[in-house]
Amino acid sequence: MGKKIVNNIRRLRFDADEMTQQMLADIVGVSRQTIVAIEKDKYSPSLEVAFKISEYFNVPLDTVFQYQ
Amino acid sequence: MSYKERSIWVSLAITLYIWFNYFSELYWSVQQHTLTTSSMKSALLTVVIMTIALEILHHIVIAIIDNKNANYDEDERDKQISLVGNQNAYYILSFTTIAAVIHLLFPLMSQGLVDALSLPSEYAIINIIIFGALTAEITKFSTQIFYYRRGF
Repeated sequence: MGKKIVNNIRRLRFDADEMTQQMLADIVGVSRQTIVAIEKDKYSPSLEVAFKISEYFNVPLDTVFQYQ
Repeated sequence: MSYKERSIWVSLAITLYIWFNYFSELYWSVQQHTLTTSSMKSALLTVVIMTIALEILHHIVIAIIDNKNANYDEDERDKQISLVGNQNAYYILSFTTIAAVIHLLFPLMSQGLVDALSLPSEYAIINIIIFGALTAEITKFSTQIFYYRRGF
């Protein structure tokens, strides 16, 4: 089976005072539905959005996203 | 359901409603032998006016219902889904263009279609193009809805 991009955004949000999807969406400049799609591994964001998310949580990019 | 997806559903419904009216009117005109150039122009003008009016009304109503997102701008996922929708619509439009050219260059090949439509040739070509453009539009909206529902 092929590899795909998975992520830990749900856990990172939980660790950041149970931040809502809408709050994260507003910070990175996408819709809440896009955050939902990313969390469910149904959409792989652009590098720009990926870096914005990792920058916000102050973790390396490969902590947020993994290719496995 | 996002603001954008809701908007696409309404646009699809408006498109289907208006064009169903147009083609049913055309059908009855052909059946009653009352189809003229002016009646077709009138039907097309009605389509244009109704499309503009209903689209304006749709944006006003959706903005009132979901006023928090009224100024929502497309994000990268919306743009990608929109691109896939436009790409599929483009295939349909290309096919329509080829079909229209074949119909003009080799009328004998499409004689069966003209007979089936029961339309004079000059009306047939216009309606082949209109039908292709309509199918392309419906394909675009349907593709977008599919990816919003399934995930992209």
